[in-house]
Amino acid sequence: MNLFQSITSALDNALAKDPTAVVFGEDVAFGGVFRCTVGLRDKYGKDRVFNTPLCEQGIVGFGIGVAVAGATAIAEIQFADYIFPAFDQIVNEAAKYRYRSGDLFNCGNLTIRAPWGCVGHGALYHSQSPEAFFAHCPGIKIVIPRSPLQAKGLLLSCIEDKNPCIFFEPKILYRAAVEQVPVEPYNIPLSQAEVLQTGSDVTLVAWGTQVHVIKEVAAMAQEKLGVSCEVIDLRTILPWDTETVCKSVAKTGRLLISHEAPLTGGFASEISSTVQEECFLNLEAPISRVCGYDTPFPHIFEPFYIPDKWKCYDALRKMINY
Amino acid sequence: MCCVIAAADTMQAPVNDERDIPSSWEDFPSPVACLPGEISDVRQRYPNQDVESDEIFYKQLAEVSRSFALVLGGDFNFPDVCWKYYAAERQQSQRYLKCVEDNILTQLGAVSEASRVMVASRNYADFASEATFEIKKCDLHRLEEGPSTTAVMTREEGLHYYKTMQTIRRMELKSDQLYKQKIIRGFCHLYDGQEACCVGLEVAIKPTDHVITAYRAHGFTYARGVPVREILAELTGRKGGCVKGKGGSMHMYTKNFYGGNGIVGAQVPLGAGIALACKYFGKNEVCLTLYGDGAANQGQIFETYNMAALWKLPCVFICENNRYGMGTSVERAAASTDYYKRGDFIPGLRVDGMDVLCVREAAKFATEYCRAGKGPILMELQTYRYHGHSMSDPGISYRTREEIQEVRSKSDPITLLKDRMVNTNLASIEELKEIDVAVRKEIEEAAQFATTDPEPPLEELGNHIYFNEPPFEVRGPNQWIKYKSVS
Repeated sequence: MNLFQSITSALDNALAKDPTAVVFGEDVAFGGVFRCTVGLRDKYGKDRVFNTPLCEQGIVGFGIGVAVAGATAIAEIQFADYIFPAFDQIVNEAAKYRYRSGDLFNCGNLTIRAPWGCVGHGALYHSQSPEAFFAHCPGIKIVIPRSPLQAKGLLLSCIEDKNPCIFFEPKILYRAAVEQVPVEPYNIPLSQAEVLQTGSDVTLVAWGTQVHVIKEVAAMAQEKLGVSCEVIDLRTILPWDTETVCKSVAKTGRLLISHEAPLTGGFASEISSTVQEECFLNLEAPISRVCGYDTPFPHIFEPFYIPDKWKCYDALRKMINY
Repeated sequence: MCCVIAAADTMQAPVNDERDIPSSWEDFPSPVACLPGEISDVRQRYPNQDVESDEIFYKQLAEVSRSFALVLGGDFNFPDVCWKYYAAERQQSQRYLKCVEDNILTQLGAVSEASRVMVASRNYADFASEATFEIKKCDLHRLEEGPSTTAVMTREEGLHYYKTMQTIRRMELKSDQLYKQKIIRGFCHLYDGQEACCVGLEVAIKPTDHVITAYRAHGFTYARGVPVREILAELTGRKGGCVKGKGGSMHMYTKNFYGGNGIVGAQVPLGAGIALACKYFGKNEVCLTLYGDGAANQGQIFETYNMAALWKLPCVFICENNRYGMGTSVERAAASTDYYKRGDFIPGLRVDGMDVLCVREAAKFATEYCRAGKGPILMELQTYRYHGHSMSDPGISYRTREEIQEVRSKSDPITLLKDRMVNTNLASIEELKEIDVAVRKEIEEAAQFATTDPEPPLEELGNHIYFNEPPFEVRGPNQWIKYKSVS
């Protein structure tokens, strides 16, 4: 299955297992603009899979209501770039519901899905990676898969998790990434990073599409510099697996974090800060962050903007030679 | 009124020099002799002129042929011209034929090889200077009376509207072509079918009024004064584009035109803000704030209605209802599809958006309302787009080809205007065809420019993030190339 098919499979499993589950968003009825919901309406009926009008704030607010009342709400925001009208609802309502009601109420049944990340021709408003904005908000969980196999397991975990979750799907991988994915439901635990490749010299951390970039960089480093890299996919951004990352850095002494979002205030800064607190004496070189520039996501300049493998490789080399 | 140009040797009256004007038609061979009217001027061409003199002559001919009826007598000493097939052997003769063609001099009378007389005439005085048209009445909400149901259009206005709409149509089709060739990338939302909206609005307002719209903006960008080549170059992302290639399809701007906005509905509060500034500066300007039927369901639109009405802002809200919000038909998206009533306490009118005159009259009415200080007003333009939502949308999965065809054949804005003009003799079909040819040429040249202009230099990546006095370095990937941000 490719990524969008694995998402469809996960939603199918969720709707089958949980009779209160509903899927809604803009254009989901016919299958969605990225085909993530193809066939679900026919299978589960139009009272469970339905379209909303064009109103993100309304979609999320509505989703919170559905979740609080006890049904499982799976809302789709058509592009992560459009999530900002709903920012207030997510941060002020969804994230704080349990806390402010003293656990009387909660909207843990809510999961918000949105296509995320650069896609080659998206320009300013179809390429953003807003995970850093939400990472600053206690009360929600943020999950970003790197592949179809991961996506299905993580999405099912999000849906079942008793906290409101935001699930960002790397849109460039919707068709491009293909894997063998089980048809039956399965879960991948949240807040656990995965070590894809063990190594002894440098730790590379990324999530979503960027994981594939750093895997390539690790191969390049091994071949050209004889450097052994440990590659970690963070998977859950909030709450993130500090233990795995810090243990790795304690072993290697060098850390490189990479993401497409702009450098300043990007999630790499949070990781960097925590790691230097925990592993200060283990560090052999300053922590490297290879990220997008502090500009809006450009249209024509995209190839120069994104942190590609060459930029990461260069940063890695400088760390080794520090 | 008639000007005669003849070759010296076919006229019976002696015309040895240019000041000797024949007094009557009888001096000419038939069928020239039976023409009505007075002779006002005579020019002539002598045999065996050189190319330069010929060019001067053709220039005279072109100037003269613009203003009144023209009679050409004689073959102008081009004996090798075959008048039956409008062909000639020699280059100079071919040039003469081209001049005849360019000035659209049509043959009036019979051509006789033996007498080598040709009569041609074109009469601009035949066209009407203006005409009155009945236009559809607008549905009204909270208004006692609406815009007029008749509209007067002069010949010049008609030709201008036609040319503008045709330019937009061809520009959008060219963009479609360039997109399919992958010369334009990214997102491209085309406006063909909706031309009457932007042209009707633009001609009803002043250049000092303000316009803001969403992403289907190429038509407005042109109407607001950006040349086609800059629009196409912006689409292809070149530095000759109106925004230096950094904006692309959805972010085109020019004076008093605030784009070009990607996020649906986000431009509407901005429009109210611009209207507030208009009111504040007291220059009697208004702001046209446009959005689509999809955006009409966004929360911020209603927030804006409230603010605009509360503070009586000179804001004309315009909903371009093209029946589909991307792929969702209006019935499936909105609890009330009477978009002109959605402003509730704001008066509204529903306008036929395929008729440029209807749009113009309604816009005049609406802007007058705002300028009188009565507060905001809402216009719903019922229109249609032929293309899908964007270039990635074939446009037929949520509507039938028959529907598109029906609109194209019955309500196409350009065809409607053309028919009106031809039927009331404001213009001829040939004249409009001429305009089509000229427009095509302009678009081709613009496309050529757009494909060959260089891309913006890499230094632009960091520019114009902030306004800052000394340029600062843009933070980016660790110690890689740093870009300066200049502003």
